[in-house]
Amino acid sequence: MSSQQDDLKETDTEARFEFKKEEKSAFKSEKGLTEETVRVISEDKDEPEWMLERRLRALEQFQEMPMPTDWPGQPDLSEIDIDEIVPYIRPDIDVRGGAESWEDLPEEIQDTFDKLGIPEAEKNALSGVGAQYESEIVYQNMQERWEEKGVIFCDMDKAVRDHEEIVREHFMTKCVPPSDNKFAALHGAIWSGGSFVYVPENTTVEMPIQAYFRMNSEGMGQFEHTLIIAEEGSEVHYIEGCSAPKYSAFNLHSGGVEVFVGEDAHVQYSTVQNWSKNTYNLNTKRAIAEKGGRMEWISGSMGSKATMLYPSTILKGRGASDNHITIAFAGEGQDIDTGAKVYHNAPETKSTVESKSIAKDGGRTNYRGLVHIADGAENSSTAVECDALMFDNESTSDTMPYMEINESKVDVAHEATVGKIGDEDIFYLQSRGLDDDDAKQMIVSGFIEPITEELPIEYAVELNRLVELEMEGSLG
Amino acid sequence: MSTQAIESLSEDTVRRIADERDEPEWLRQTRLDALAALETAELPDVIQTPGRRWTDLEALDFEALVDPLNQADETERTAGDDEVVVLPFTEALAEYGDVIEANFGSVLDPEHNYLTALSVALFTTGTFVYVPEGVDVEDVTVRAEMNSRSLFSQTLVVAEESSSVTILESIKTGESEVADDRYFSNLVEVVAGENANVQFGSLQNLDTDSYTYSLKRAVTDTYATVDWIESNFGSKLTRSDIETELDGDGSESQIVGTFFGTDDQHFDINARVWHQAEQTTADLVTRGVLDDVARSVYEGVQDVGEDAWNTSSYQRENTLMLSDDAEADASPKLIIHNHDTEASHSATVGQVDAEDLFYLESRSIDSRTARNMLVEGFFVPVLEEIAVDEFRDDVEDLVVERLQ
Repeated sequence: MSSQQDDLKETDTEARFEFKKEEKSAFKSEKGLTEETVRVISEDKDEPEWMLERRLRALEQFQEMPMPTDWPGQPDLSEIDIDEIVPYIRPDIDVRGGAESWEDLPEEIQDTFDKLGIPEAEKNALSGVGAQYESEIVYQNMQERWEEKGVIFCDMDKAVRDHEEIVREHFMTKCVPPSDNKFAALHGAIWSGGSFVYVPENTTVEMPIQAYFRMNSEGMGQFEHTLIIAEEGSEVHYIEGCSAPKYSAFNLHSGGVEVFVGEDAHVQYSTVQNWSKNTYNLNTKRAIAEKGGRMEWISGSMGSKATMLYPSTILKGRGASDNHITIAFAGEGQDIDTGAKVYHNAPETKSTVESKSIAKDGGRTNYRGLVHIADGAENSSTAVECDALMFDNESTSDTMPYMEINESKVDVAHEATVGKIGDEDIFYLQSRGLDDDDAKQMIVSGFIEPITEELPIEYAVELNRLVELEMEGSLG
Repeated sequence: MSTQAIESLSEDTVRRIADERDEPEWLRQTRLDALAALETAELPDVIQTPGRRWTDLEALDFEALVDPLNQADETERTAGDDEVVVLPFTEALAEYGDVIEANFGSVLDPEHNYLTALSVALFTTGTFVYVPEGVDVEDVTVRAEMNSRSLFSQTLVVAEESSSVTILESIKTGESEVADDRYFSNLVEVVAGENANVQFGSLQNLDTDSYTYSLKRAVTDTYATVDWIESNFGSKLTRSDIETELDGDGSESQIVGTFFGTDDQHFDINARVWHQAEQTTADLVTRGVLDDVARSVYEGVQDVGEDAWNTSSYQRENTLMLSDDAEADASPKLIIHNHDTEASHSATVGQVDAEDLFYLESRSIDSRTARNMLVEGFFVPVLEEIAVDEFRDDVEDLVVERLQ
């Protein structure tokens, strides 16, 4: 491959993720977090009183809880200074609650999403796109036939007003209460934007629903909330993607995801995250699965300076099931601490966790997971498998699972392996004409194939593209 | 959180223990330093998951349990060969004081935690095993009976270059009447010289009014091997830590653990290896059975350091639950800092296999007998690792006894 082609290739892949737009907003809250900040956010969104009350209570809880400091091997969070965060920026657009067509958006916002390929993806395959630019959904669309079936897909701010009763019942109550952890409390106080998805009984949404988040301003936080309610016998696949350009100051992403999987319903939640290397990514994601409900979490964590992300499912009803597939990729200066949590609270519940991690250039990956089988959850089974690949001696790969088994009639299995890219594998591929870089890239792509197979084509393509980007220069 | 002070404990107590044994100044000072360390030392780490602490060591009432001046035990020691030194710790000081001073605390820091500091300050029993260069000895046995409210034991094993030794150490409750609960503490240090080979087996079968704390540590030199066999059958609460630092190139360690819990026994069993040098190998194997409302908690750590090239590290932990009301928690951990590593771990929890039961019952074996056969079979992989015949028989007998 010629050097000119190399340069062109690098330009193409780098350019995709490194651009930024000049900041322009209609409203920007002051830095720091006070009751006044919370009131201003709530008033600007024209929220009902009960939501303001919840925000204020969450703020109190946030202020009371200590920062996590004593988890074994946890990422370093000392750089996070809440007073430096700007929690709320609303973009300058005329249409509140999101535009109904692409042309209504300001030109520079259209340009941002053009580069990310959102419109083409929507036209080709997707049911609807909710793109979050700064703190508010600016573009909402849902194909008409799903609206006719009663499927709701709108931004969370709008849902609070238009679907108040159902949101009030489900929003940060049973699934992820603000008391769960410090960053859930922070999220509860200053959440903004995100998606609301409601799927009526026995309704199947055949094509994935996609939301794409983006952070563009230095020092701003990102606190989107996703609430998915899948009623009895329904089926839906939701895709969340994240990316942010590089800035020198840190960014904080503290999102919340709540999924209610009704009886015999099926929800798949897929994520590819590529926050910039100065982002702290501290999410709380949880599902509650009723009888026969089926939850699937699929996630790729590629970016961020530090990630703490452990999608969790409570298997509440008999025969509910939970599957996790995760991939973590840590390069220079990154600490990706991810895993899964499953609570088997009923008989005949099943879970599987498959985790793959790759560490290079001094990055660190850690799998942290908890499987809890409650007393009475007989005939449950769980299988956890963790595999880690390390490129060099500066990198670190840790595995820290926890299992708590209170019931004897169960099958519990956990296994983990750590290894290096085999010299024999490299040699074989090189003997077939591949150079060192390409050989390693091929091995890594094979390593993560069980996960990319589960993703829609667009996301598998993007994940492979991100791997390609991360792999470049690894042997320079 | 600071651990409760034991008001009845003082420098005078420690001096008296040292004086009664005519101990050298360095050991007396070590005891006093350990005593002073109690003010700041922490209890051993316990795993915390959301809303739940796996073992409650804070609940131990040391004021009631610790009775340092009335320690009593009967210990019988046998050496399989007259070239090996097997002596009560106190007696060994007279003849081997220099070796003991050089090695004591080199592997196990007296101030490692609150419980080690307490034990070093107060120990009155224990064993010194010394294997000279090139000597190969089997069947060293140390059989102890505890006859007091509390007992603190210190064992030091020094295996010189190219020596080989197998050791069995056991503890059970003696005949003396002691009202209320008891506390037994056992610290074991193994110094394995170049190309030395040590198998250290331990069998704990104290009565169920007992609390047991055990920390056994080894450091391996080049090409050395230390294999542990840790069997816990007794005590109401057992906290056991088995640790090996693989400091020498080409050194190896195997840690085999077994436990069988009945009634409301609680076992907190931990196995840890640190790979610090090139071409080291570790294999951790733990098998446990739980019946009634017994509970087990397990942490296994495989830590591969930056300089640990060409590491092989494996871990398997299996628990069999005979009762719906038993509870098993496990946390196997891999901490990898060198990519030139093959490492794996696995953990399973389950019950007696229904198909196996059905097969045996179809051969006219009654249900109870069939289950018992399967449980005995479950232990076979660890029994096979025990080189000391006497030890293997003891473990088998205890398993059978608990199945009646």
